[in-house]
Amino acid sequence: MSTPNKPLIQIKDVVIGIPHKRRPTLIIVNNANFDINYGEMVGIVGESGSGKTMICRTMIGTLERRGGKILSGDVVFEGQSLATASESDWKKLRGKSIGYVPQSALAGPNPVLTIEAQLAEALRNTGDTKDIKARSKELLDLVKIRRVDTVMKQYPYQLSGGMRQRVMIACALATSPKLLIADEPTTGLDVTVQSQIMDLLKEIRSSMGTAIVLISHDLALIDEVCDRVVVMHAGATVEVGSVKDLEKPRHPYTIALNSSRIDIAEPGSELVTIKGSAPSVGEWNPGCRFADRCSIVQSDCRIGDHPALIGGSGTHQTACIHTELLERI
Amino acid sequence: MAEFLLEAKNVSVTFGSGATKVEAVKNVSLTLRAGEPIGIVGESGSGKSTLARVLAGLQVPTEGEIFFNGEPVYKGAKSYTGEARRQVQMVFQDPYGSLNPQLTGLNAVAEAVRIHDKTNKELSETRALELLRRMGIAELDAIKKPRQLSGGQRQRVSVARALSASPTVLLADEPTSAIDQSAQAQLLNLFRGLLDDGLAIVLVSHDLGVIRYLTNRVYVMKDGVFVESGITEEIFNDPREEYTKILLASIPGTLGTAARQKLQQG
Repeated sequence: MSTPNKPLIQIKDVVIGIPHKRRPTLIIVNNANFDINYGEMVGIVGESGSGKTMICRTMIGTLERRGGKILSGDVVFEGQSLATASESDWKKLRGKSIGYVPQSALAGPNPVLTIEAQLAEALRNTGDTKDIKARSKELLDLVKIRRVDTVMKQYPYQLSGGMRQRVMIACALATSPKLLIADEPTTGLDVTVQSQIMDLLKEIRSSMGTAIVLISHDLALIDEVCDRVVVMHAGATVEVGSVKDLEKPRHPYTIALNSSRIDIAEPGSELVTIKGSAPSVGEWNPGCRFADRCSIVQSDCRIGDHPALIGGSGTHQTACIHTELLERI
Repeated sequence: MAEFLLEAKNVSVTFGSGATKVEAVKNVSLTLRAGEPIGIVGESGSGKSTLARVLAGLQVPTEGEIFFNGEPVYKGAKSYTGEARRQVQMVFQDPYGSLNPQLTGLNAVAEAVRIHDKTNKELSETRALELLRRMGIAELDAIKKPRQLSGGQRQRVSVARALSASPTVLLADEPTSAIDQSAQAQLLNLFRGLLDDGLAIVLVSHDLGVIRYLTNRVYVMKDGVFVESGITEEIFNDPREEYTKILLASIPGTLGTAARQKLQQG
């Protein structure tokens, strides 16, 4: 970690919407706010539909392909504003300074390309076209694939899910990115494979100094591998803090999420569930979007805008305006 | 009354022949008592889903037999017959793929009720609503189509559908893999309620946290065979097989920490 505690990428009050010809623009993320420092491993947790993947897309510039748009706020990567970046600006960043490992390992690699061709494509992106074969092999070594020569000639369907995900990580690492975004990289993979992939990410972080964003809904997993955690609910960041901070969560949503964990529950005991379901995208009431599901909701929680994060960047931040009542939960 | 409600004796399943022959399940035996929760745990390709399909009456075993209440299931038949058929029901992994996209939750469950109870539309809908309410789906959500429901809600509709037959055995193949943590907690609470009502549950999963939480006994499967089986708590505290130890050490968080330490100490 060359320059710790210095932000590599900053998500600043980002509002993401999907414009529509006839209907008003659908706001899908509102109040997203957090930094990721050089060499840091940050987890983003939240339910499906909380905006985790959308935030990712702002960091790799694929938001507009999906019809999304940053309406206000900014994403700043090493001092460069990404909200207004053009496609040609993105071409210099995506797959170069910023790597991406998609969610679905099984569908990730191109099915009609051999692993060799796949890696070669990623490597040519660096602009350096020398020794591509040798460098491909190095990459496969890096992600701990054995029988490298055989695997190079194989097609994705001949590999297991874990191997495919390793290949995807190898592709993302081809350009030695400063930031690697992994969107639920182990969903659908076995626990043993999951722990191998996590060990691999940790190793990459410490050997290459890559900052890693890990998106997951598995709190136990994030606890184990990340330095800091960003909790999202209904398109807003509701809590940001170190893994240690999050042991004593300061937002009712995080508290509820924590107590629904089965890995710490007594077998057969009643599991705590979060009341109701997350409000549908864009169908947000005024005030805090967790209010309808919150057990300590007060009348002033339902007025105005969704509360912003309280506390300075780098500290334990929460968007709850009634933290004094948290002990009642 | 047989000792076991459901019993698998020396079951093998082989797909293909010659060079492409795959032995998915090799000579496994399993028992399930009435009202008991058991787990089958293993990685992808270990044969656990194939075994679940055999138990559910969806896959004829190449060798061996399944006994339901002491009666052979596949002897001269391709699946469960008569009363036994409704008593063993299955919930599938993918709540997006297992529901008819054209039917509302209510219609999907009512259809199943009509088939099993042979009642009319009105009675079947009342019963369906009752089942859905028990699964935590209010009337307002029951009249929605699958695409309008969340993954957790869809999975609960699937469970309601399985329950419409008033089964004594519920086979659940990775019911929590595709849903969020809070939805998972909700589903597991419901499963616990079903156990209290006397239903036996066979939970197939690679999620050891879920297995630990819900089951009394567990079978650890690898490459088509059971490498270890026994009381869930004992297996979690004192695994004998190397494979089980590795599996436990892979669980993220506190649950795997102890297992990891033990593994490192050798």
